[in-house]
Parts: sequence; C-alpha cells; structure tokens
Amino acid sequence: MDALIGYFLYFLSLLSVGGIYALLALGLNVNWGFAGLFNAGIAGFAAVGAYTFSLLTTAESTFHYGGLGLPVVIGEIAAFLIAGIIAAVIGIICIRLRADYLAIATIGIAEIIKLIFKNEAELTNGPRGISKIPRTWEHFSEARYFSSQPLSWFGDSQSWQAFFDSLVNWWWQPLFAMTILFFVFVVYIMLEKARLSPWGRMMTAIRENEVAARAAGKNVTKRRVEAFIIGTMIMGLAGALLAQHLRFIEPTHTFDPSKMTFLVWVMLIAGGSGNNRGAIFGAFLIWFVWSASELFLNGFIDIIGNIFNGMDISMLKNRSGYLRMLLIGLVLQFVLQKYPKGILPERRPAASGE
Amino acid sequence: MKKTILTGIATAALAFSASAEVKVGNPMAVTGPIPDLVAPMVLAVDLAAQHVNEQGGLFSDGQKYTIVRADSGCDPTAAVDAVTKLVNVEQVSAIIGPVCSGATIAQAQSVTIPAGVVTLSVSASSPAISSLESGTDLVFRTAASDAFQGKALAELAIANGITDLAISYANDDYNAAIAAVFAANYEMLGGTITANEAHEPDKSSYRSEVATLGSGTNNLALFAYYGSSGITILRNSLETGAFDLFFGADGMAAQEVIDQIGAENLGNAFFTTSTSDQTTNAFGAWKAAAEAGNVPAADPFVPNSYDAAFMMALAIEKLGSGDRSGIASALRAIANGPGEVILPGEFAKAKSILAAGGSIHYVGASGPQDFFNNGDVAGFFSKNTVVDGAWSAEIIK
Repeated sequence: MDALIGYFLYFLSLLSVGGIYALLALGLNVNWGFAGLFNAGIAGFAAVGAYTFSLLTTAESTFHYGGLGLPVVIGEIAAFLIAGIIAAVIGIICIRLRADYLAIATIGIAEIIKLIFKNEAELTNGPRGISKIPRTWEHFSEARYFSSQPLSWFGDSQSWQAFFDSLVNWWWQPLFAMTILFFVFVVYIMLEKARLSPWGRMMTAIRENEVAARAAGKNVTKRRVEAFIIGTMIMGLAGALLAQHLRFIEPTHTFDPSKMTFLVWVMLIAGGSGNNRGAIFGAFLIWFVWSASELFLNGFIDIIGNIFNGMDISMLKNRSGYLRMLLIGLVLQFVLQKYPKGILPERRPAASGE
Repeated sequence: MKKTILTGIATAALAFSASAEVKVGNPMAVTGPIPDLVAPMVLAVDLAAQHVNEQGGLFSDGQKYTIVRADSGCDPTAAVDAVTKLVNVEQVSAIIGPVCSGATIAQAQSVTIPAGVVTLSVSASSPAISSLESGTDLVFRTAASDAFQGKALAELAIANGITDLAISYANDDYNAAIAAVFAANYEMLGGTITANEAHEPDKSSYRSEVATLGSGTNNLALFAYYGSSGITILRNSLETGAFDLFFGADGMAAQEVIDQIGAENLGNAFFTTSTSDQTTNAFGAWKAAAEAGNVPAADPFVPNSYDAAFMMALAIEKLGSGDRSGIASALRAIANGPGEVILPGEFAKAKSILAAGGSIHYVGASGPQDFFNNGDVAGFFSKNTVVDGAWSAEIIK
C-alpha cells in the first residue's frame, strides 16, 4: 500500500514539475511560436519571478531583504508583473535585433540578472539563497499563517495545529499539483483565445513576412514587444511556482541555463513550436523522460548485473548520471529526426471564406 | 514499445530485490560542478555498506544494507527530483546526503521534512542548516558548520601573526558562507582586511582579481575549490608575485594542488579542513580500512561520508527495522552514547552488543560525531601544511 502511495506521490511530483515546465514552454511559445523571437534568456526571467515571489512571501529574515510575509497569491501576481516590467525595459531596447542577435542578447541578459541576484547579497543573501519559501496549500500548516487572518477567523492556533497534525503528511501534494495544472489550464485557454483572435493572426503575419505586415500598416515593433512581454510574464509566473516547489532558491545552480533555458527549448521544439498543446505535451514528455530515466537506468543496470553474474556493475552505477544525459540526448535526436516540426505541429486556423 | 517492456522488467527487478534488504537513499552530486570531489566520497559510502554486509548484514537474518544512489547534481531541482524518487518510489528508510548545502536545504524543505524521513548530510556545511527545522528532528549532518571553521581559521591566522590580508572567495554558497564568517571573526580579533572580493569560478585566468587584491598585502585568504578556481588563482598569484602566503579552508587541501603548484611554492601555505584528529584510534581504524579498499582516506569529506553511511547502518540495526519514524532517535542513541565505543569498521562487534541489549557509542573517522540538538556536529579542524610533497595535518586544539 505504501508503495502504491509512493508511486502516486511520485506521479504528482512529475505533474507538478512538468506543469512548471509547461508554463515555461507556453511562455516561450508566445515568444518563439507566435512572434518568432529567439528568447534564450528563460532562466533569467524565471529567476526574476522566483526571487520576486520569495522576497515578498518569506518571513522576515536577517539574511535577505524583503521577507514581507505577504500572501502567496500576491507574490505570484507580483512575480508575473515584475517579470513583465523587466521584459518591457529589455524588450524596448533589444527588440529590433534579428533572431540570432536577440538570442545572444537574451543569453547575456539572463546571466546579468543571475549575477545581480548573486552579488546583491544584502538583498537576496547572494549564493546562499533564500529558504523557507512558503508552498501553496502546505503554507496553511505553518504557524505564522494559521495564527493570523484569515485562518484565525475559523479557529485558534491550537485547533488548527491539531487539525493539520491529524492529516496524512502528504495531504497538500495533490492540491499543489492541481494548482499548478490549474495555472497551466488558464494560461492555455487564454493563449488559445489569443492565437485564434485577430491579434494572433497578426502575430503570425509578422512572423512569416514582416515586410508585408509592415506594408499593411501594422506596428511591428509594438507587437513584438507585446509578445515578448507576455511570454516573459508567463515565465515569471512559472519561476514563482518553481520557487514554491523547491522551497529554496539560489542563483548559481537552480537557474542553470542548461537545465532551464536549453531544456525548455528542447521541450518546445520537440513538442511543436507554434502549437500551445505541443508546448504542454513536449514539456510533460521531456520531463517524464528526464526524471524517469534515472529509474529506468538503475533498473536496467540491475538487470544487466543479474544477467552477467560475474560483472562488476558498480562501474556502471557510478556513471549512471552521465549515461542519463547521454540517453536524453539520444531521445532528443530521435524525436527531432522523426518529427522535424515537433510532435504536434502548428495548426493554422482556416482562413475565413474557405 | 521497447521502453514499456524495459520498464516492466525494471519494476519487476525492483520489486524482486525489495525482499530481504533495507534500502537507504544516497543522493550525491555525481554530475555537476564537483565530480572530482564527490567520486571518493561515493567510494567511502560504498565501503561502509560493504563492511556492514560482510560482517553479517542487518538484524539476525542478515538482511542486506543497500545504498540506492541517485544524482543530485548539486542542484536544488535535481536534488528534489532525485529525493522524491528515492522516498516515494524506492521507499528508502532514510537519506544519506546530499553533498551541497543548497541541494540539502531544498530537498529537506521540499521532500524529506514533510515526509518525515531523516536526512544525514555528508558534507553540507552551510550555517543555514542549523536553523532549518522547527519542531521536527530530521536533519543531521556529519560535517561541521562553517560557522565553526571560519572562526577557527581566523584564530589560527591571528595566532600565526598574520595582521593584514586580502580575501578572495568563490561566489558559491559554501565559500561565500565561510568567507563571511572568517571575515567577521578576523576583524573582531583585530586583524585588518585590505580587500574582500568574490570571484566567479571556472574562469581561465584571475590576473585582474589578483592584481586588484594584491595591492595592499602579501597574504591571501583563499576560499575556493581547487579544481574550479583555486589552483588558477594560486598560479596567477605566484606568476605576478602578488602574494606569497596563502591559506584558506576545505576545498583546497587536495593532492592535486601540490602536484600542479609545486611543494616549494607552498612552503608556508596552510589550509584548514574539517577532518579529524588523525592521531585518534578511530582515524587509524578508518585509514587501514580505506587503504585496503582503495579509498583516499583523508580527502575532503571522505571520512565524513563513511561515517554517515556506517552510522545509518548502526541506527537501523539498533532500531531493529527500517521504519522511518524511529531512525532519528536511534541515530542519536548510537552517535551520542553512552555505551561501548565502536570504531569505524567494527560492525560485527556493534551488532553483537546491540543483540545482547547493550548500547554503543560510535566514534567516527572524521570526529566524535555526537549530535547537538539541532543535528549539527562539533568541528575538529586540522591545519594542513605541505610536508614532503603531501598534505600533513595537525589538529587545532
């Protein structure tokens, strides 16, 4: 029974992290799939969202500034907005750059953002990171939440403490996973509406043939900046959710470009750029493969050890971390060879009158 | 299709092997920024498991003590994912690891504390871990907090007559923390810090940093990992003549530093490590076992890794089962005593004492390993100097 619950909880964690990556991929889809902007600074914008959320919602601390202890929803909204403000500043400066140059600029910007967080140690505790970040639903069981409004209206500290102690220790996990999936769903619906709207058609026109769009009188620069801002706002929100999932963030390893920027690009391209469903599907698929590959490999190495009884498998086991990266690369190669446009390619809405 | 069959067989294999063993999870930073530091630590953990299994296994029916390794990559996201799998899918009894403080804090707050699973870190030294928990007793470590080592190093520097110095630290969680503690203590003891700058690891040259720092003093306090920036900084300093006295903490006390920089250039250099008194019986026992098992006995955090894995086995043996909820108190009982002293490698002796109803007190290779209330251990620090082409440690009392 414990084993079944264990598998269920692991599945929930796959959904949670997959959902966070799905949000990142949806944000990237707005930048790349809708508007053709090569945004390679995903890690930086996610970091902005994560740090904004953390500084606003953690308890007061001598290690870092902020710690205002605001409700998590306000933290998420703030992450969303502040990522947008920073994207606006960057977008207005960089948006005229062509594809590759925008990529270089955004990589640089992401690194600058991370270095700012790393070096402003009074503000963010530098490389030592911010811990005890409250996690939606689980945060209710922390004393500082149930002893203040609004939960204090429904009972006093003792009764709340007793209530939370009586729950099974993973009670918040399904709720947290569903919250993330809810965010993914809402963002998906809104982006689908945007894609099928005149705005979406205009973005496709700008992406496919900018000169013609300009000739038709569209303000291309303004649209591009809009797409950039919207995409990065979604990435900021995903960063806030990531901070909640990890409950601890730091600027060096958490927002590593290879795990965040590169992986999200892989998810979008493999899933199908331009297609919102493709973005979500690609995110869950690649994350499932990434996470479950550790289990596959260990089981596989065990089987090899059992088949060849004399072989010393410890050498393989110690290298399984690297074997896993090789496996991910191979999977990516396979998917991209077989589905060059992504597994769920872009579907253009039918032109009216056909 | 193939994948489904493989998964099926893999899960069957997992299920099969789950019968007569107690599993303990071991997330280590096998890939990531410090693989060369972690490789011997992994060997030490495996050596501990090998000792336990060779000397009769766990409980009266000789169950196997299995270490399930996972890759935490020194990255909070990877660590949380790895530990989620260990706790939920592998159903381990406890977690030994991870290596990095960031990964330890993230996985503790995100997975193990909510799930009620004990974490015994082998090398996480951030002062933040001391105040991580409130109300639970689940996070322990076999490595002393930086808060102690920074203070000891400051006292050592003053005692050696170093009145002014510059500090250069790698901008990561470990080195930044220990540099901050060192700086605060050094100034409190009356020393002068002429410059205190972070440097980014993994650069190919640090000449500009060295030039900026070297203008006021000849003494450099260096807090870095040897592979990612330490050796390069030493080399640049010697080439430009900016500094001639070097000292610092863990992370620099590796043989490779001597090999690459040369023993003649490190004449008056000293680095503290949180290893133990090497004159104790415990370290002697560990050294013999390590040499027999081809594990470098004194590399950073290697004895701590052995201690962690061995203590977990002793705790499980004392508890009598792999039940997660009893491990914390069993761990305290075998680590703090009172009881018959058990040295590294003496599993059979411990097992027979416990079977007869007695108590044991494990004294570790890297220190006495008696846990404080918050799961920390005291620091014994040794001053490592270069003698005859190798690091030689001298305990600081």
